[in-house]
Amino acid sequence: MAVRPVLVLPDPFLQRPSVEVGRIDADALALAADLVDTMRSRPACVGLAAPQIGVGLRAFVIDVTGHRKARSCAGELVLFDPRLESAAEPLVAREGCLSVPDLTGDVARASRVVVRGVGTDGAERVVEADAFEARAVLHELDHLDGFLFLDRLASAHSVYRRKVYR
Amino acid sequence: MAHFAVTAVGADRPGIVAGVTGAFVGLGCNLEDSSMTILRGQFAMMLVVDAPAGVGAAELDAALVAPAEALDLVVTVRPAGQEGAGGSSEDAGSWTVAVYGADHPGIVHGVASLLAGLGVNIVDLSTRVVGEPGAPAYTMVLEVTLPAGADPRHLGRRLEATAAELGVTCRLHPAEADIL
Repeated sequence: MAVRPVLVLPDPFLQRPSVEVGRIDADALALAADLVDTMRSRPACVGLAAPQIGVGLRAFVIDVTGHRKARSCAGELVLFDPRLESAAEPLVAREGCLSVPDLTGDVARASRVVVRGVGTDGAERVVEADAFEARAVLHELDHLDGFLFLDRLASAHSVYRRKVYR
Repeated sequence: MAHFAVTAVGADRPGIVAGVTGAFVGLGCNLEDSSMTILRGQFAMMLVVDAPAGVGAAELDAALVAPAEALDLVVTVRPAGQEGAGGSSEDAGSWTVAVYGADHPGIVHGVASLLAGLGVNIVDLSTRVVGEPGAPAYTMVLEVTLPAGADPRHLGRRLEATAAELGVTCRLHPAEADIL
């Protein structure tokens, strides 16, 4: 398992919708391990989606453990073929992305979501997330559809140069 | 490559951005960062352009004469370094300051003078006068960067004291982004 390079803007791969993983085989588990290792290698990173490491499959990892804005916390959560079941209560907050390293932006996202997917054990999982964990889920789901936070900015003046968080 | 800061201000109408940027395209300049906004019908743009060798402020000025006349714009061009002296990677983080209250002269100056005295750099600011003509309310939002080692709690207390003198409310909160 390995820390993989993270694709950054303007890599066109980030705009490509990913395809279903299907059966959870050894390759899928290797992808999950790489996602976790790569996320853990970056300070303050709480989520990573497969397209960010150049894999066009619908899989992501999040872990908001210990984050001061988190309420719900599923711990280290790898989901394959996730689908959003419901989303409610939008809130605007500033977020950044390893794939857009120079900018941050104010983005409105639902603060209560239910997401259904398949875990690393091959079993279906239904996760209810709120607050910061909900934001993380939605940010990673966007990556699977080829969207970045830049596609969700609240306004033309909602984008900022990031210089102190690197 | 040389960088130039260009500003243009004029009564808002369609075609200002197209007209001004057309002058840059004609000279082979590349647009880098820009910010544009409209205040009470006045459109203002500020851009940093990267000019190829042989294109200087005089050439940019000359190319902007035609769109400035056609669109009734006041245009300025000045050489710009890569970075100003305002902030550095040593900054103690970005903070947002919200100020609001009954409108009267001196609010911006009072808050900005306090910040300047503490070495705090204002990187973004917008103000709006709202409410009824007889009882106007003033709102100001600033994004600031603190110098290295500065204590945000100290800044918060100084801001509250200044706000009390000015008869307004002033609050400070971190403008942190979460990396997802």
